[in-house]
Amino acid sequence: MSLLSVDRLEKRFGGLPAVDGVSFAVDEGEILAIVGPNGAGKSTLLKVIGGLERATAGVVTLGDEPITGLSPHQIRRRGLAMVMQTPRSFSSMTTIENSVLGAMFGGHTGRLSEREAVARGRDALAFVGLGARARHPVGTLNLHEQRFLELARALAGRPRILLLDEVMAGLNDTELRSSIDIVRTVRDHLGITVIWVEHVMKAVMNLAERILVLNFGRVLVDGDPQQVMRHPEVIDAYLGTARA
Amino acid sequence: MLLDGTALGLQFGLLGVGLTLVYGLGGILNLAYGQMAVMGAMVVTLTMRAGLPAGWAVAVGLLTVGALGLLLDATIMRPVYRQQGEHRVLLSLLLTLGVGIVIDGLLMWRYPIGSLGLDIGGAAVEIFGVRMRTGTLLASVISVTTGGLMLAFLRMSTLGKAIRSVIQDEEGSRLVGINPAAVRRLIFILSGILAGLVAVTRSMTSPVGVNAGIDFTILALIVAVVGGLGSISGAFVAGILLGMVSTVSAFYIGQYITTIVLLAAAAATILLRPTGLLGRNT
Repeated sequence: MSLLSVDRLEKRFGGLPAVDGVSFAVDEGEILAIVGPNGAGKSTLLKVIGGLERATAGVVTLGDEPITGLSPHQIRRRGLAMVMQTPRSFSSMTTIENSVLGAMFGGHTGRLSEREAVARGRDALAFVGLGARARHPVGTLNLHEQRFLELARALAGRPRILLLDEVMAGLNDTELRSSIDIVRTVRDHLGITVIWVEHVMKAVMNLAERILVLNFGRVLVDGDPQQVMRHPEVIDAYLGTARA
Repeated sequence: MLLDGTALGLQFGLLGVGLTLVYGLGGILNLAYGQMAVMGAMVVTLTMRAGLPAGWAVAVGLLTVGALGLLLDATIMRPVYRQQGEHRVLLSLLLTLGVGIVIDGLLMWRYPIGSLGLDIGGAAVEIFGVRMRTGTLLASVISVTTGGLMLAFLRMSTLGKAIRSVIQDEEGSRLVGINPAAVRRLIFILSGILAGLVAVTRSMTSPVGVNAGIDFTILALIVAVVGGLGSISGAFVAGILLGMVSTVSAFYIGQYITTIVLLAAAAATILLRPTGLLGRNT
């Protein structure tokens, strides 16, 4: 059975469809990359799934429970965590405080004791390699490290599925490589399913096992990377050449 | 006089904190704040008149304003939360102004000459070689304790951090799994209790009249603005500072002019440091 399924999901702003009847499903342990040109509706799709935007129509099911219409914190507590492109860490706090908040409020295994939350927060920080920075204020981290902190904050809640929104934009090669590694480790070692919207194609081809291409809010192709990249319509969508 | 100023300032600080906490919720200014404080004071008066000892009466009063905060959050603030940005600010201003007027009207109609004066009695005490009235001393002790507890709660406890996270970035807090609605409820209750508490401690040195609501609101607003709206430690610092200014000015110039002096201080802060003393630069 699939872990997350999206059925004819629609999101309109005014009359304009940003997401226009998208359906797909991910199995437990998959890494699915969602790609597409600017304005294809990728980020909106993630936001609707995570509850940050309300769906106009359609259903999202997590496990065997529909989550459409729930608020973000309710969805998070059901085991779906998101990391956004712009880091949203709380800058007045230290990295460990941020991570512990994620463990305390973002878990789907019920209420935790303070001690347990701190332990999980610390584990998550160590996992992303920020263990030594636990007591540092968020302001001392660079963009790359802040994204890792966001990841730690998400992981601290021990989610079942992780949604990443263009988290590799603006990184240098070394940072990119470590980001790709950490996402793979999240899946391999923690068994967490990953849905990942990305612009950096190098990273996508390196990491994704399955690619979903969106264009004008619709699914263009859904398949394994080799297959997808050979697809004529994908080449069109990316190169913008008009074919007859 | 400096001690008097500090004592007053501590109370100003608490008053400002109560307002600034609510302001943190996306710019909600609670203009009924002072009326909530007065209502707390009136409940204490009535409860004492009914024969309860002062301590219990204060407890009942504070619980009542806390409940009033809860009520506001559950009813009239609902449409406010649904708005974003300027609309949220404006709607909150109009609605809470209305609530304030209604509370004012009710209180003045039912208890036109009501006031709360907690006479602590006893002789002046000597501290650090300075004589202080018992009322002033007790008010200060209560304010310092409450202020300390508030800061500790917000800085150290996970719940306090959750409150700060919502103030800082509501959407970010949702992503972490925090329910902003629950945090808002808590903030409104806390804010109500703080307002009530300040009315009670004020009444230990001079009576709090039924029509003092608007004065409390203005004062809280000034303190919160000078401290940097949304900044909790800023409100404390600004409170103490303004308390001193107020005492000195009231002594040398007069009570009425003092309000103008305080307003001028707020205006000067906005001109010189728009983010307030300890405000965040966002």
